[in-house]
Amino acid sequence: MDVKLPNLGEGADSGTVVNLLVKAGDTVTAGQGLLELESEKAVATIPAPEAGVVSQVFIKVGDKVSVGQRLLAIGGNAGAAPAPAPAAAPVAKAPVVAQPVAVEAPVADLPPAQPGVEPTASPSIRRMARELGIDLTQVRPSERGGRIVIADVRAYIARLQSLAAAPKATPAAAAAEKPAAERVDFSKWGEISKKPMSMLRKVIARRMTENWNAIPHVTQFDEADITALLELRKKFAPAYEAKGTRLTLTSFALKAVAATLKKHPIFNSSLDEAAEEIVLKEYVHLGLAVDTDAGLIVPVIRDADKKSLLELSKDIEEFAKKARDRKVSGDELKGGTFTISNQGGIGGAHFTPIVNKPEVAILGLGKGTLKAVVREKQIVQRMMLPLAISYDHRVIDGGSAARFTVDLLAAIEGFTEKDVAL
Amino acid sequence: MEPTKTEIVVVGAGPGGYAAAFYAADLGKKVILLERDPKLGGVCLNRGCIPSKALLYAAHTITGAKESAHRGITFAAPQIELDKLRAWKDSIIAKLSGGITQLASKRGVTVIHGRGYFEGSNTLRVETEAGQQFISYEHAIVAVGSKPALPKAFDLGNPRVMTSTEALEIEEIPEKLLVIGGGYIGMELGTVYAALGSKITVIEALDSILMGADPDLARPVMAYAKKNFSEVRVKAKVLKMSTAGKQIKVISEHEGVQKEELYDRVLVSVGRAPNSEDLGLENTKAKLDEKGFLVVNDKQQTSDPAIYAIGDIAGGVMLAHKASREARTAVEIITGEATGADKAIIPAVVFTDPEVAWCGLTEAEAKAKGIEISVAKFPWGASGRALTFDRTDGMTKLIIDPATERVLGVGIVGHGAGELVAEGVLAVEMGATAKDLSLCVHPHPTLSETLMESAEVFYGHATHVFARKK
Repeated sequence: MDVKLPNLGEGADSGTVVNLLVKAGDTVTAGQGLLELESEKAVATIPAPEAGVVSQVFIKVGDKVSVGQRLLAIGGNAGAAPAPAPAAAPVAKAPVVAQPVAVEAPVADLPPAQPGVEPTASPSIRRMARELGIDLTQVRPSERGGRIVIADVRAYIARLQSLAAAPKATPAAAAAEKPAAERVDFSKWGEISKKPMSMLRKVIARRMTENWNAIPHVTQFDEADITALLELRKKFAPAYEAKGTRLTLTSFALKAVAATLKKHPIFNSSLDEAAEEIVLKEYVHLGLAVDTDAGLIVPVIRDADKKSLLELSKDIEEFAKKARDRKVSGDELKGGTFTISNQGGIGGAHFTPIVNKPEVAILGLGKGTLKAVVREKQIVQRMMLPLAISYDHRVIDGGSAARFTVDLLAAIEGFTEKDVAL
Repeated sequence: MEPTKTEIVVVGAGPGGYAAAFYAADLGKKVILLERDPKLGGVCLNRGCIPSKALLYAAHTITGAKESAHRGITFAAPQIELDKLRAWKDSIIAKLSGGITQLASKRGVTVIHGRGYFEGSNTLRVETEAGQQFISYEHAIVAVGSKPALPKAFDLGNPRVMTSTEALEIEEIPEKLLVIGGGYIGMELGTVYAALGSKITVIEALDSILMGADPDLARPVMAYAKKNFSEVRVKAKVLKMSTAGKQIKVISEHEGVQKEELYDRVLVSVGRAPNSEDLGLENTKAKLDEKGFLVVNDKQQTSDPAIYAIGDIAGGVMLAHKASREARTAVEIITGEATGADKAIIPAVVFTDPEVAWCGLTEAEAKAKGIEISVAKFPWGASGRALTFDRTDGMTKLIIDPATERVLGVGIVGHGAGELVAEGVLAVEMGATAKDLSLCVHPHPTLSETLMESAEVFYGHATHVFARKK
């Protein structure tokens, strides 16, 4: 069978092969990684849909591949390849079910077409699709037997149009993406070397430009007194260590942010510009910016408000490792409601983070430093944590931001033994 | 002499060629249709589909009369006047061929009778009775068809060794007729001659007759042949033939044993060969494959940008309706009506007794391609309509995708299967599910109900058979 590139998740329909894990002649088991693909903000491992022997590899490192494209062929292995395992099905049968249009027609109960069986549509629809250059395997069928009718083709075209129109909504961003009109020859002034932008770099560049252009940013600065927090941490770290994880400042930050977001739901919202609605989320999924060799990756920790410090610590460690190993799946990068960027481990104080659309706010943490502060008319030394909250002024006003900041400081400074003890 | 200029020249006026010429003319093109025969219509009309079906109809009259004895109706032995039978058959051909000529003239298609020879990619030399002329064209559509293959070893130069062309002329009714090749042509003509009174022996090299048809569809045909032919010898081979007075001596081999037999006539139906010789194709950029068929892409384009090929000469299944379909594709590409061709299923019909017809996926193909299928069969023994004309030796089956319940193929054996399969084509092309077929009310009492009932068999609740769903 041919192994085709399965759906990578909303918005991602292609990627660059960064690593081939198998070669022709290799025996693979179902689920074994075949190759690593860099797309969006992750490197995804593409698993073997079934066991067998790799008979042919159609791609090489550096190739850009699209969803549905043939990657390699796995020959059946008499002993090891009975009926395709259920887990394998989504990959093998990807072309019909797993394409982006899935969001539209709720017809999840339709079984996918078998490989080798053409998409189902009447001859007139097939002709029309061919003349319009539409690949019917990409169109989601709505009729019995997986039959594609004219309405399905229309829906698909509408979707293509909306996708095509989307970048035009932010002309500034589109303009910014264009290469500078005048190319500078830097070698005139000395030695240089060049390297191509990785896909991840390009995605970061595009996203940041979009976010910067679309959102009127305001950044609110403050400092939190974490002297007590650090003592708690010191006291309980061994207990957490015993449970196999590290109690870090980030764990506390997550916990404090989650609690504060519950009090200030507007910071946990999104702006639906088309509908002119503010969408308030009942859940708290916190994005955690992770600095990796390749660039910024933001995995999302689900339901942070419902998790204990221990659980959060474990999640943070797991995701940080996954991000650095570039093993975060596409789904694990989605659905965040608020992002935390902690530079404290590296150094630095206040900075102005860029809001991660469609979220409306982001917290940037610097490195805690000992400072002389006044407490009860006395100058004392306290460990002060610089923090900065950038927010979308379209949704959040300065007063709300000040109140959020006050409550966040209180949360960070207010941890008690009861909160931390296991 | 100034060459005649045209936009499109179609070489060959069979069901592919005349369809192409007419369609191109309908789309406003200047078209010349070139045919080497005095009559239009090609093999299908003059030496194939049409005359064989006329003769088969006559044969059914004879067998039908014979089979009605148990209904209390008996007839005297038939008196067969071959000249009259032939004249009737020829009159049908004349009517159809004349019709094509008329349709060509009404459309303003210039018909030239003569042999065409490519001088280059854009010039055709034509030898007509009136002399030589040249045609300069923008596009040529080659639709020159095929002819019955006659291996050199069988070509004795003796009219008693016939191909389908001669067999359809029914010069005489041989007492003993050997049919070499148990494909559809051999079996159809064997049926005709058996009804006329010949003793038929079929020798087939493969292990079954009607290759390409699923075995369960071929079985009733084999049963009929066993009853009405002297012998159907599969896995057998003719080694040598020679003239022996008014007979043909045939040495054949079957299961390691050689046999020498005498036949009054021999019909060689071992396949068809492309008519690609003496066309001057070597003066163009068009390429032939090793068997002599023109190599085309899915747009019917040869490797010469000015030259298209359709029908038998373009390879694939050699069926008239495939040629007609390809004709439309070629014309649409030339005129820019379309940018490509969609895959279409090409139904197959064998006009034996009983008829066999299928379309879309066959069981064998599904197996070869690893496509998972469910097969739902409805035996005609349960069809009231089949009983009323005493032909319960039939079966209708649906090849269904078990996951989507889509009908991927239809196979039918039985009287009138050729007409019935059209519903199958519609079902497969429209992406109908077994549910769709079972929900469509079919008229009673007709054989079309067998399609509906086989769909019901799939769901385990056919009215007239009791079969639980697997």
